[in-house]
Amino acid sequence: MPDRRSFMKGLFAIGLCPSVTWADAGSPAFLSAARKPDGHYALFGISEKGRAIFEIALPGRGHAAAAHPERPEAVAFARRPGNFAMALDCRTGETLSVLEAPEGRHFYGHGAFSEDGRLLYTAENDYETARGVIGIWQADKGYTRLGEFASHGVGPHDIKLLPDNKHFVIANGGIETHPDSGREKLNIPTMQPSLAYVTLDGRLVEKVELPQAMHKNSIRHLSLGEDGMVAFAMQWQGDVLNSPPLLGLHKLGGQVTLLEAPDDQQRQLQGYVGSVAIDTSRRLLAASSPRGGVVHQFDTETGEFLGAVRETDVCGLAMRNGKLARTSGAGIVCLSEEVAGMQMDRTRVTHPYQWDNHLVPIG
Amino acid sequence: MFKYCLLLFALMTAPLAADETGSSLPDMEKIVKSHILPGLEDLARTAEDLAQSVAQTCPDNPDAVKEAYGKAFDAWVRVSHLRFGPSETDDRAYALAFWPDTKGFTPKTLQRLLQDRDPAIESVDGFKAVSIAARGFYPLEFLLYDPQFVEHPSPNRCQLMRVMTQDIAANALAIRDDWKDGYGSRLISADNETYRSHEEAIRQVYTALTTALLFTSDTRLGRPMGSFTKPRPARAEARRSGRSLRHVILSLEANRELASLLSQGDEDIDQGFERAIRIANELDDPDLSGVATIQGRIRAEALQGAISFVNDLLAEYLAPRLGITAGFNALDGD
Repeated sequence: MPDRRSFMKGLFAIGLCPSVTWADAGSPAFLSAARKPDGHYALFGISEKGRAIFEIALPGRGHAAAAHPERPEAVAFARRPGNFAMALDCRTGETLSVLEAPEGRHFYGHGAFSEDGRLLYTAENDYETARGVIGIWQADKGYTRLGEFASHGVGPHDIKLLPDNKHFVIANGGIETHPDSGREKLNIPTMQPSLAYVTLDGRLVEKVELPQAMHKNSIRHLSLGEDGMVAFAMQWQGDVLNSPPLLGLHKLGGQVTLLEAPDDQQRQLQGYVGSVAIDTSRRLLAASSPRGGVVHQFDTETGEFLGAVRETDVCGLAMRNGKLARTSGAGIVCLSEEVAGMQMDRTRVTHPYQWDNHLVPIG
Repeated sequence: MFKYCLLLFALMTAPLAADETGSSLPDMEKIVKSHILPGLEDLARTAEDLAQSVAQTCPDNPDAVKEAYGKAFDAWVRVSHLRFGPSETDDRAYALAFWPDTKGFTPKTLQRLLQDRDPAIESVDGFKAVSIAARGFYPLEFLLYDPQFVEHPSPNRCQLMRVMTQDIAANALAIRDDWKDGYGSRLISADNETYRSHEEAIRQVYTALTTALLFTSDTRLGRPMGSFTKPRPARAEARRSGRSLRHVILSLEANRELASLLSQGDEDIDQGFERAIRIANELDDPDLSGVATIQGRIRAEALQGAISFVNDLLAEYLAPRLGITAGFNALDGD
């Protein structure tokens, strides 16, 4: 029988070191940033029952967070055009590292870890040349900058790792901004959004663009099915009462399917989808519009519109363990097992916090 | 005694009446007929004058063309906040006003059109197919004021200006005609496919107003201001013709008029505009090149602050009255 030391050695060797896990942070089901009643901002861990189980102060308004695949670590991104992100220990609330965007770069608010959690990839703007880049950070070495590669478009907003763990999909929103002019959009008449698939070292594998008539449809947010299906949500930069479809499905090498609700309901979105979440095993896609105060749901196989759920200022969405969770700027955290319009909310909790744009599922 | 009764009666009814007008929705018909249509009428007329002036006097009388150009450009800036409906059809507004030009497309495209005498510049129809960066008021400014195009003018310059100004006039006319021939009444009645409710119509106009204020503050002022360590005065809008500050003022004045109609004469909001316009006038810096100095930057920042104060007033006091709920996420736009 091996002694304890050699047993531990063996665990280290096969990478099964019993290090800290998300369980040590109370097993949160989701992460979300929020504004508190006193005006301060924080990142919260949220349980499966919709309760806040930890809170870590943030210096300003957040956008999204990236959850480490194993360790109870989250990287919280400042709202665009933020030039910092914070790697946080979710057990203690301590700041592990502050990621500062290199000179001439700012973060867009989203990032993704590699499968093993050793690297973090962040969507960034090289704003003097208006070129999108993906920054690479060594998560296991104090989040030092390792390098970057092109996002193959302008304004990369969201990035996700495909389930094959070999590719990223990047939502290039197409919109040029520069910190000198705040959040003003500088290139609407010439914008050219795209969905770019790249290898882990940044080589372009496929680039998907919508027809020219839709070039003002900024591709912003992504959600991935376990089969590699990519759901993308868009924000229309033309007349808001006359918007084209704002949701699409695509698989590497395949064709784009656009999803649209019947006219009356499509108008409620006001040309704007804030978040998207899919669960291909349940054939369900959900998309939120805070402006319309509504969550639309679709069948991912047939593209059929399944119905809408009303929720004032709703934005954050996540699918986890067969449940659809949504959060709102009015403090709501709601978990629902029912589809579309049934309003059979399993759990509904009202918090004194204004939940920010995105709800990040863990595990 | 009867007098007192009357007075009492007046006192009792006065607040009621005031309350009624205070809670009623803005008069969209008045907004269309006294604000939107006259502005578009003015744009269509001055744009046509500009095309005539170029056709008749280029290249002999550049001053006449510049004067007509100034009037038409003024008229555009005064309606440049009305960015919905007819202005967005076929990208008309962008074809009138392609700015900012972050990649320098405008001078590059002009150079190419002139050098090769691109057949596209022979007719308005052909010209509609050229890059949007070479259409409208901003490329025309290059042709009229930039040494690169003025000092040794290309033999094709007047032809390019002719087609360019005809294109401007056609776009201005198309926007006005669409507003007159139905779009305006659809906005007023709000019982149609374009606007299904008064709430939709009001939200559209309110959003146009606040978007315009942000554009003035963040882009018209923010781009030339750059950062403290790196001011960018060469990025000022229409600096070649010395119109940069003028655009800030004209736009604020037009926004003030619309805000007054939307808010039914809210005095605090109007005072906010008055203050911003006064600070703008005091800048006395036509091409905004002063932002490169510390003193100039501080004054431009004060102007940005005054504009953002107006936007705060609108969000705080006007939006709720118009039934526009501005949620934490709904406002975010990300």
